[in-house]
Amino acid sequence: MPIEFKRNRAVFQDVVRVEEAEGLLEWLQKKPSAKVDLAALSHLHTANLQVLMAAKAGISNWPEDSELRAWLETALKPAS
Amino acid sequence: MSPLLEQFLSESREFSQSIGEKLMQLEDAPNDQGVLDELFRLVHTLKGNSGLFTFPEMTRVLHAGEDLLGIVRNGQIAYSRELADRLLDAMDFVMVMCGDIESTESIDASRAQDSLRMAEALRALMPAPATAVLAGADGVAPAAVPTISIAAPLPDSAPPLLDEVPEVIRIDAFLQCQGGDPLHWIVYSPVPECFFQGDDPLYSARRTPGLLWGCARPREPLPPLAELDTYRCVLDFHLLTAAPREELAEHFRYVSDQVKMVRVDPLWLAIEPLDNAMGPDGDASRAIGENVLPGVAPLPAAETLPQFLAEEAAALDAILSAQQQILTLGDHPSWEEGRLKAVAAVLANLSKAAGDASAASGIEAALSESLASGQSASLRALLYAHLDARKESLASRIPAQPNSPATPTASQIGARVETGPAAAPEASPAKPVADDGIKFGRRAEDAYNGPRTLKVDQAKIDRLMNLIGELVVSKNALPYLAQRAEVQFGVRELSREIKGEYSVINRIADEMQDAIMQVRMMAVSFVFQRFPRLVRDISRKLGKDVQLVLEGEQTEADKNIIESLADPLIHIVRNSLDHGLETPEVREACGKPATGTLTIRAAQQADRVVIEIVDDGKGIDPAAIKRKAYEKGLIDEATLERIGDQEAINLIFAAGLSTAEVVSDLSGRGVGMDVVRSAVEKINGTVVVSSELGKGTSIRISLPLSMAVTQVMIIESDDQLFGVPMDHVVETVRIPRSAIRWIKQSRTAVLRGRIVPLKALNTLLGISINPKANADDELAVLLVQAGGEVLGLLVDGFRETIDVIQKPLAGFLSGLSAYSGSALMGDGSVLMILNIREIV
Repeated sequence: MPIEFKRNRAVFQDVVRVEEAEGLLEWLQKKPSAKVDLAALSHLHTANLQVLMAAKAGISNWPEDSELRAWLETALKPAS
Repeated sequence: MSPLLEQFLSESREFSQSIGEKLMQLEDAPNDQGVLDELFRLVHTLKGNSGLFTFPEMTRVLHAGEDLLGIVRNGQIAYSRELADRLLDAMDFVMVMCGDIESTESIDASRAQDSLRMAEALRALMPAPATAVLAGADGVAPAAVPTISIAAPLPDSAPPLLDEVPEVIRIDAFLQCQGGDPLHWIVYSPVPECFFQGDDPLYSARRTPGLLWGCARPREPLPPLAELDTYRCVLDFHLLTAAPREELAEHFRYVSDQVKMVRVDPLWLAIEPLDNAMGPDGDASRAIGENVLPGVAPLPAAETLPQFLAEEAAALDAILSAQQQILTLGDHPSWEEGRLKAVAAVLANLSKAAGDASAASGIEAALSESLASGQSASLRALLYAHLDARKESLASRIPAQPNSPATPTASQIGARVETGPAAAPEASPAKPVADDGIKFGRRAEDAYNGPRTLKVDQAKIDRLMNLIGELVVSKNALPYLAQRAEVQFGVRELSREIKGEYSVINRIADEMQDAIMQVRMMAVSFVFQRFPRLVRDISRKLGKDVQLVLEGEQTEADKNIIESLADPLIHIVRNSLDHGLETPEVREACGKPATGTLTIRAAQQADRVVIEIVDDGKGIDPAAIKRKAYEKGLIDEATLERIGDQEAINLIFAAGLSTAEVVSDLSGRGVGMDVVRSAVEKINGTVVVSSELGKGTSIRISLPLSMAVTQVMIIESDDQLFGVPMDHVVETVRIPRSAIRWIKQSRTAVLRGRIVPLKALNTLLGISINPKANADDELAVLLVQAGGEVLGLLVDGFRETIDVIQKPLAGFLSGLSAYSGSALMGDGSVLMILNIREIV
């Protein structure tokens, strides 16, 4: 599974495809306070990014891939 | 090339052709809903087909055309000539791309630019209510809307999000800029439905070549989670990249209508935008601007350009766009090299005039690259860069005032970026989804009702034709066999049976021959169909009002005949339009209706096809023709006095004669009508012109229905058999030797009150034997017609007439001009067919 849903934490791995977005959205709706772990992520589909942005989900770990991290940080970091 | 692609190409050709026809029909009846529906369906299907392959350039143009037609069909805008022009241009462009595909199986990436321009031009004709309102609300003129393109950047100020680029990257980028690398700012706004098309915009954005920095921003405030539609893309991507424009265009070629690209002015990177100046780290970045900038101050290219006067600027733009047109030409003539060089020279001179001498080396490099590859791509890319540079320099004339409050704030610009251009793509891509369902249904129906036709390579038909010819010949051997059976072997029974079998085979062979002829028959509409466009284009160019009437398009003739007819007809039609028909003013002054009429009429008369081209123009003035012909030395003074009006008119067929005062690109070089005549005569046709001064001209071409079977008369001379095509035979007579008179060296005879020159066939063929007379001392004379003159050929005797399949003389024999070909006779012997025109 590209996304492993733990009790209050979603762990993203490898490539997260567009099909995951729906499930991610549902899960985040149920658990507004959940955190997202992106450490092992190498790419996520735009649809998932949108969901994360809309949910303003908290990020517990940023991706190790620095290039992806830069992208996600500009998109997901709360605007200062 | 895959069979699917091949079929696509041949279908595309047909579709483009019929789209052109339908557009012409609409010109006469702009409100014909049926034609509009059909037109829409054609464009739609063609678009759908192109989508099966990866030809985004083609699909984009067709898509725009389809949308435009959809709007016309719904009656939102009326059909107009301009609309037809654009659509016809678009179809021409599609054909150019088909040519590309045929030669290389792909479309040159550089066509993407043209494709965008073309699609934009089509979309510009559409009413854009939503866009206009939104743009209007933002205080942006609606005219700014069609700038959704790579080629048309937003030049007036820095992109709003530039200030979000982290300092480190910004300084880095600024230094790169100084190093001469062009930077581009890209706003990629994927269409909301892009996920369904398998796009992952983030992935594309991450893969952008030369990416320095990028971010994703929601296009509109994101809705609460409960209302979020996960399958609707609401993000825009803002990218800063150091890759060259071509590379970026290539990367985004599938979504180029969703991408805006701006050349980054180094100043934007250095100078602190207003918003951020108030921010916490504003001091630091301003320091960069102050510290780095002065050292390299005199940089902005735009300011070093000499200020052009308005006319100069307009002229420059015109020259640049002319070069662009030249490079877009899809043909590859032998002089293409020269063309490329010319464009390069123009560009070099332009940049010199603009004070930018350094550009010359770049142009040279692009030229040599283009010459080496035989493609204009690299020159074209350079040209686009020039065009963009022009736009930017125009914009920079209004100096940016970075610190003034008048500068639009980020949110304002952002609003424009989001609403203005995004509205247009949004309106369109919604359609295909809905239409796809209909399309499949329709195509299934097509298959049911479609004509049951086969497409066969002509070579196969020709082979069949040859085989039938052989069958006919070998069939003819059977009567000889029957005769031998009876005479030589005395078996009458067998002889009769052979004759019985022969008649059966004979009947079947005849029918087969007839059937094959039918297959080879084509309607003249094949040639006629290109005339509406030709007449329309030429008459508009000449400012004449012409109505084209086509009659008898269903008349059929052999394919070869029809095909060889095309060029002569185009010549004649051009002549009629250029010389024959007058401008509306002149016509009205003469009391004729302002609209001229050009009629092209085809009809079958016995075994010939007759085509008439009739115009009601000013006609041919025999006096003028005579004078011209005399001036050009085509006729001498005596002839000038002697010849009548009709003969004078026939002089238009003489080589080198033109009555046009000036040579135009249409006609007037004096090579027209003699080419027409020789082309027609090559296929055994005749052409006759008649004209009445002030009333019009009529040109009549008469052609054989088929070239495959020739009726020949067999004649005997010096114990050899020769064939004479029946077209040339006037009559056969026997003349007593006493009735032949000698006039100087020539033999003549009086026949039906006319003096007819006589020539011995033996003499003409270089045989030194006199023609034989029969028992009553009468000579056999075959009266033949050649070039309008009648001549008597003295031969030894006449035989029967037969149908033969004439084969041209090939190889070493092809130099024998006395014979037009050979044919096999029933007994296996070869019959040589005389070429009467050559030997007399």
